[in-house]
Amino acid sequence: MDMSPYRDLFISESREHLRAVSELIVKMEQETGSRADVDALFRAAHSLKGMAASMGYGEIAELSHRIEDIMDRVRKEELVFDGGIADLLLEGADLLEMMITDVANELQSVRDIGDLVQRLATYRPGAEGVAAADGRDNAAVAPTARHGQPSSATPLHGEPDRYGDASTVRVRTEVLDHLINITGELITNKHRLMTVGRELASPLLDEATVELSRLLRDLHTEVLLVRLVPFSTIADRFPRVVRDLAKKIGKEIVFEVDGKGIELDRGILEGLSDPLVHILRNAVDHGLESAGERRACGKPLQGRIRLIARREKDQVVVVVEDDGRGMDPARLVATAIEKRLVSPEAGRLMSAREAFMLTCIPGFSTAREVTDVSGRGVGMDAVRSTVQALGGNLTIESELGKGSSFILRLPLTIAIINVLLVRLARITVAIPVTSVQRTVELRRDLISSRGKQKVFDFDGEPLPLLSLNRVLGLPHSHAGELLSLFVSELKGRRVGLVVDGFIGQQEIFVKPLGRPLASMKGLGGGAVLGNGEVVFILDVANIL
Amino acid sequence: MGLTVLLVDDSLFMRNMLRGILEEEGYEVIAEAVDGVDAVRKYREFRPTVTTMDIVMPVKNGIEALREIRVLDANACVVMCSAVGQESLVHAAHEAGACDFILKPFNPERVKEVIKRVAGA
Repeated sequence: MDMSPYRDLFISESREHLRAVSELIVKMEQETGSRADVDALFRAAHSLKGMAASMGYGEIAELSHRIEDIMDRVRKEELVFDGGIADLLLEGADLLEMMITDVANELQSVRDIGDLVQRLATYRPGAEGVAAADGRDNAAVAPTARHGQPSSATPLHGEPDRYGDASTVRVRTEVLDHLINITGELITNKHRLMTVGRELASPLLDEATVELSRLLRDLHTEVLLVRLVPFSTIADRFPRVVRDLAKKIGKEIVFEVDGKGIELDRGILEGLSDPLVHILRNAVDHGLESAGERRACGKPLQGRIRLIARREKDQVVVVVEDDGRGMDPARLVATAIEKRLVSPEAGRLMSAREAFMLTCIPGFSTAREVTDVSGRGVGMDAVRSTVQALGGNLTIESELGKGSSFILRLPLTIAIINVLLVRLARITVAIPVTSVQRTVELRRDLISSRGKQKVFDFDGEPLPLLSLNRVLGLPHSHAGELLSLFVSELKGRRVGLVVDGFIGQQEIFVKPLGRPLASMKGLGGGAVLGNGEVVFILDVANIL
Repeated sequence: MGLTVLLVDDSLFMRNMLRGILEEEGYEVIAEAVDGVDAVRKYREFRPTVTTMDIVMPVKNGIEALREIRVLDANACVVMCSAVGQESLVHAAHEAGACDFILKPFNPERVKEVIKRVAGA
């Protein structure tokens, strides 16, 4: 029988099972696993075995079979689920993941499963440490970096109990991308029609464009809905990430995930995975104190990390919070001054909120913080750029001795965003509204000077004024009674960016810039307005 | 009237594969169910000629679903799908009134043969 038509489905369904397997193992190891979890683990391994056998992948079937066997023994209470079993099963899940990746890449599998199969078959409580210590398991299993890697085969719905619904269809992710692109082009064209309509002053045309707008809004909503996937699609692998790291550095951590069912655009969700892993690693490695330190402060010995996703209006907020040592704003500012990242003058003016954001400036992270765990070349600066590239923003809250929170605010969707159009000399540029904290029309007599710096009072805080024209190398006269400016965040500091005028807010379809423009700092993309004008979208945080 | 089949399996992969085999033979797959509860519901709604029933499933396993279907319809023809090494389950399924068995992984010839036999009975 020709099995090739079933191959993609095999890959995606297997990956769903493996994701569930990893999640369940970690859950059970934390002793929160129930009888239902044991059954679910058994079933996942059983299903995997059946599918692999049908496809003729003997080794995947064999390894799954051994995992199923061990879970069957746990189910029958012949074995107690302990740390040794958890390690073995996770090793198995990793190896299976690699083998399935081999299938996906159409590679002949050369993985050696013999050793692991042997250890699974002969597992006895308390005996595993010996086998693991001689390093054989390292030979069988490569690092876990590929675990849970998103792929084009990632199914629409990540929750194991949803994929099986016979009334849903699977759609290739490229089709979804294509749909949103077409919708974006249609919105651009609608603006074109509206511009033409204004010139022609034709009531009939206006009527038609109004109707078109309404239909487009509906289409846009529907297209966005089909692109939504639950947070669990990426969150399910985080318990494993936290567990492995905590184990490696010898910390005891309770990790909780809330809001797994919250849905986000799959493009945004995929982009979030790496930043969240980084923040979680930071929290485990730096955020939480060692057990000894915690005892000395009178805190519970087990550190606690929570990952929360929730909807707030048209945004999704993702928070990573720990109950660790927190950050000291004064020390952060002192470090930044020492490293000449900010002037002593600017440092003095910084609020605590701004001081926390200093950790996101390239070059802030100190060498002694670069450990084996967190020192992977992706700093908080990369985290922040990624979040901003997704149209979101990052804020940090922290209290010394109590813990820190990293708050990511994200749009529900990418590609079509709301922007503030501003005039700079003779050109128009678009500022994503997520980068605009407020727009202000400022009377000139409210501007004061601090040294060479012009500042204005913003809710009791003196904010420096910068001419956006000047930053971009455009003529900058800024004539007139009132100065138009918007408040935004640059390098962790809030500033007022002065422009020549506001044009208005508009929904635009973001087009990526090709080379060489894409590599220019400060540009976030391009868009075509209704009148055919091409505008750049500014990546405000990176214009300096 | 043609022969209709209800497919019960929690794996979409398995359902698609079985569907492929059966449709090639001209059988009409009238519905699919993803667990035991769904199976009973779909059976009541569609009254298929033959039901193929996976054993290991979430929510309610195939043997419990088989028992409930036999209560609904004492003549229901349910073929159990089981993997090697589930002999004790096969025995339980037989007791519960399964009309035949197909072993996983599916051998298309064997699947066709079993369905043909039970449908003719």
